[in-house]
Amino acid sequence: MTTPTNAAVRTDTVWKIFEHDGITVEAVRGVTVRIEPGEFVVLAGPSGSGKTTLLNLFGGLTRPSRGRVWIDEQDITDMSERQLARLRLERLGFVFQAYNLLPVLTALENAEFSLLLQGVDEEERQRRVSALFEKIGIAGLEDRRPGKLSGGQQQRVAVARAVVSEPALVLADEPTANLDSASSDALLDVMVRLNADLGTTFVFATHDTRLMERAKRLIRLVDGAIASDHRR
Amino acid sequence: MAAGPWWRIGWRNLGRNRRRTILTATGLAFGYWAVVVIAGMADGIVADMVRTATGILSGQIQAHAPAYLPDRTLYETIGGNEGTDVPALLAAIEREPGVLGAAPRVYAGGLVSSGATTVGVLLVGADPAREDSVSRLTAALVEGHLPAPGTRELLIGSELARQLNVRVGTELVVVAPAADGSLANDLFTVAGLYRTGIAELDGSYAVGPLDAIQALLVLDPGRVHEIAIRIADPWTAPAIADSLGTRGVTPAGVPVAFRPWTTFRPELVDYANLSAGSMWIVVVIVFLMAIFGVANTLLMTTFERRREFALLLALGATPRGIVRAVLAEAAALGILSIVLGVVITVPVLIWWHYDPIDLGRLFGDFTMAGALVRPVLRTDYPVTMFFYAAGALLLTALLAALYPAFRATRVPPADTLAGR
Ligand SMILES: Nc1ncnc2c1ncn2[C@@H]1O[C@H](COP(=O)(O)OP(=O)(O)OP(=O)(O)O)[C@@H](O)[C@H]1O
Ligand SMILES: [Mg+2]
Repeated sequence: MTTPTNAAVRTDTVWKIFEHDGITVEAVRGVTVRIEPGEFVVLAGPSGSGKTTLLNLFGGLTRPSRGRVWIDEQDITDMSERQLARLRLERLGFVFQAYNLLPVLTALENAEFSLLLQGVDEEERQRRVSALFEKIGIAGLEDRRPGKLSGGQQQRVAVARAVVSEPALVLADEPTANLDSASSDALLDVMVRLNADLGTTFVFATHDTRLMERAKRLIRLVDGAIASDHRR
Repeated sequence: MAAGPWWRIGWRNLGRNRRRTILTATGLAFGYWAVVVIAGMADGIVADMVRTATGILSGQIQAHAPAYLPDRTLYETIGGNEGTDVPALLAAIEREPGVLGAAPRVYAGGLVSSGATTVGVLLVGADPAREDSVSRLTAALVEGHLPAPGTRELLIGSELARQLNVRVGTELVVVAPAADGSLANDLFTVAGLYRTGIAELDGSYAVGPLDAIQALLVLDPGRVHEIAIRIADPWTAPAIADSLGTRGVTPAGVPVAFRPWTTFRPELVDYANLSAGSMWIVVVIVFLMAIFGVANTLLMTTFERRREFALLLALGATPRGIVRAVLAEAAALGILSIVLGVVITVPVLIWWHYDPIDLGRLFGDFTMAGALVRPVLRTDYPVTMFFYAAGALLLTALLAALYPAFRATRVPPADTLAGR
C-alpha cells in the first residue's frame, strides 16, 4: 500500500554517465528509490560506488543522463538553473564534508543565509538561528567567523544552516569525515535529535560506520546500483 | 532580496587579501592622481594663458555702449553724446565681487609722424593709475616714464619707436578724426616705451593720458568708449559679466554691454575646449590600462574562491546574486581607490597651486596663440575632472569585474565542491 504523502525525493531509473577523454564512467546505473518525509537515510558503499553522485542527483547539483528525479513530487529533471536555484533555496539543505561556510560571514550570518535569501526579516532570522544554536550546543558562537571555530563547531553551524529554513530534505555528503570521533558523535546526536524533533528528512553519503549504525534506513550502493535497502 | 548579503560579502572579501587589495587600490589611486593632476595642470596652463592674453590690454570683461562694437565707432561712447558719470560707474563695477579693477579708455585710429616717417596707430586714452590694476601696459614700461594726466605725453611700443626712429623725449605729430567731425592734430612728446613681446601691440599702439586724448578727440570728460575690467578667476568672467549686466550697475538709462573674454576672444575658448577634450584621451588611456589590471586581480581572487561560489550556488543563490557579490567587491575596491586617490591628489593640487613648478629655468618665456606664456605650471583645481575621474574609476572597477563575475557564475557546483 502506498502512502498518500509526497515522497521527500524519489527517482525513476536514474543514470549518470560521465564521459571524459573517451573514457566513460557509469557512476549511477538505473537507480529507482523513494525516500519518505522524516526518514534518516544513509547511502553506504565502497569508494567510487556513486554515493556522492546520487546525492548530487537528489539535490539537482548534477543532471541525470537518463531517468527522472522528483523532489516533493516536483519533477526537477528538466528544470532551468533559475528554477533549480529557487528549489534548492526553498526545499533543500546541504551539508558538505568541508568548506561548508563562507569565511567572511560570522556563524550567525552563515546559518541565516538561506533565510536571508528567502526574505525572512532580521528579527525572525535571529530568533530561529539562536534557538537552533541553543538546541545544538553552539549558543554564544554567533559572532565568530568560521576560522575561529573548531571543525565540529563549523559542521554544526552548517547543519543549522541546512535545517533552519525547514527544508523538505537535507543532503549531507560525508559530514563527519573531517571530525574526531567525539565531535562526530556530537554532530550525529544533533542530527538525530533534529530528525526526531523537527521531522527533518536526512540523506547521508558516508563511510562512517558510526553514522551507519544510527541510520533508520541503510542503502548500500555497489557500482552505481542499489545492492541492498534495509529499514530498521 | 534588495538588502541581501551580497554587498556584505563583497566588502568583506576585499579585506581578505589586504596586501593585494591595497596594491590594486594604490594603482587605481595613482591613475586617479595622474588624471586629476594632469587636468589641473592643463586647466592651469589654459587659465594662465587666458590671464596673460587678456591681461596685457583687453581685460577679462569689457563694457561698451551696445553699438560701439564691432566697428569701434568714435561717437558710440557709453551714455551716448551725453556721456556718463565715469567715476560712479567705475566704483559700481569695482563693488562687484571678483572684480579686481576697472579702467576707462577712449580709442581712435590715427597717424603719428616724426620727420618724414608716418605710421598708422591705434590711439588710446587711458588712466595710467587705473591701468596699473587692469592691464600690463604700464608694467611693460622699459624706458622713460608713464604719461602724466593733463600732459600731452605718449607711451608707445618699442617696435613703433623703432619704426619712427624716435626715442624718449622726441616730439610726434598726432593726427586723428575728432568727434566734432574735424581732423584733430597736435604735438605729443614720447614719455616712455613699453615692450610686451607681442608684435602687434608693440608696433601699433600709442597711449596717452585719458584727459589729453579726450581733448584731442573733442570728447567731454564723461565720454569713454570702454571700461576694461580685471577679475581674479578667468573662468568666472561669463558669470560676472552677466551679473554686472543684469544688476544694473550703470546710472539710470545708460545701456552698457558687458562682454566676457569668452565672447571677444573665442579662439581662447577653442583652445580651452581642445585642452579639456584631450584630457579625456588621457582619462580613457589611464583607465583602460587600469581595467586590465583590476580584471586580472579579480580573476585571480574569484578563481581562488570558486569553491565558495559553488557553495553559494548549492545553497540556492542565483547567478545574479553571485554577480552582485563580485560587483560589490569591485565597487568597494573602486570606492577605496577613490578615497585613497583623493587623499594623495588634494595635497598635491594645493601644493602645486600655491607653489607652482617653475619651468622658466629650463626654457625662456614663449608666446602661444598670440599670448605670452609664463612657463610656470600652476595647477588649477579641476573640479569637473575631480568628480568625473572618480566616476570613471568606479566604472573601470565595475567593467573590470564583469568578466570575473560571469566566470564565477559558471562554476559547476558538484565538481567544484568535490575538488575536481
Ligand atoms: N565529474 C565527474 N567526471 C568524471 N567522473 C566522475 C565525476 N564524478 C564522479 N565520477 C566518477 O563516478 C564514480 C562515482 O563517484 P562518486 O564520487 O559518486 O563515488 P563515491 O561513492 O561518492 O566515492 P567516495 O566514497 O570516494 O566519495 C567514480 O568512478 C568517479 O570517478
Ligand atoms: Mg563521495
